[in-house]
Amino acid sequence: MSQIDGEPDAKDFVEVRLPAAGAYLSVLRTATAGLAARLDFTLDEIEDLRIAVDEACAILLQQAVPGSVLRCVFRLVGDSLRVTVSAPTTDGRAPERDTFAWTVLSALAGEVESTVEEDRTVTISLHKKRGAGPGQP
Amino acid sequence: MDLSLSTRTVGDRTVVEVGGEIDVYTAPKLREQLVELVNEGHYHLIVDMEGVDFLDSTGLGVLVGGLKRVRAHEGSLRLVCNQERILKIFRITGLTKVFPIHSSVDEAVAATD
Repeated sequence: MSQIDGEPDAKDFVEVRLPAAGAYLSVLRTATAGLAARLDFTLDEIEDLRIAVDEACAILLQQAVPGSVLRCVFRLVGDSLRVTVSAPTTDGRAPERDTFAWTVLSALAGEVESTVEEDRTVTISLHKKRGAGPGQP
Repeated sequence: MDLSLSTRTVGDRTVVEVGGEIDVYTAPKLREQLVELVNEGHYHLIVDMEGVDFLDSTGLGVLVGGLKRVRAHEGSLRLVCNQERILKIFRITGLTKVFPIHSSVDEAVAATD
């Protein structure tokens, strides 16, 4: 990400694509933590992000098309990291919000949104501010 | 990192020592272990989470499932955890009010209520 070096850029993002299968989530958690550390997030914020990204993906995996690809894009916007995870799904359902997964995700990530495309691709976006203090509670 | 599980008996309690990462991939292994113990007649479980590096809501779901199973036999499920980052997940979801959480296996074994 070019914010690390100075100038922001339209191509300034990191994209990780992996098989939409639970076995690969640990890889994505490691990538998330590495990236957040590089962007000077605090240890608590890094841990929050690691769990939040994991939860967002776990929610998508419940209805992801078997054998499809989970796409995760990290983008630094101002002083916050925007992470967007998406996957093609069989049901095209919006994530339920009365679950442990959504509770944990929204508590740790701050702002969270979800969208469902016409082709049943479900996307969850989270927005974690840097230096906003420890995640609640 | 995968999940490691080992069980031992302390008095009338069965201690399940969990190590590694509990996520959507590994949680079924923990679920199977808890189901197996209850099916074998072990109704007083202590899950020692001191060796757990990562826990997400899938793991919480498995622990809640375990609690329901032992309660159906008037049993108990106690947790041992001192790690702030893990405890935070229990607090966010309100589960600190559902599970008795102890700071050591000895304390959990001694607990009666």
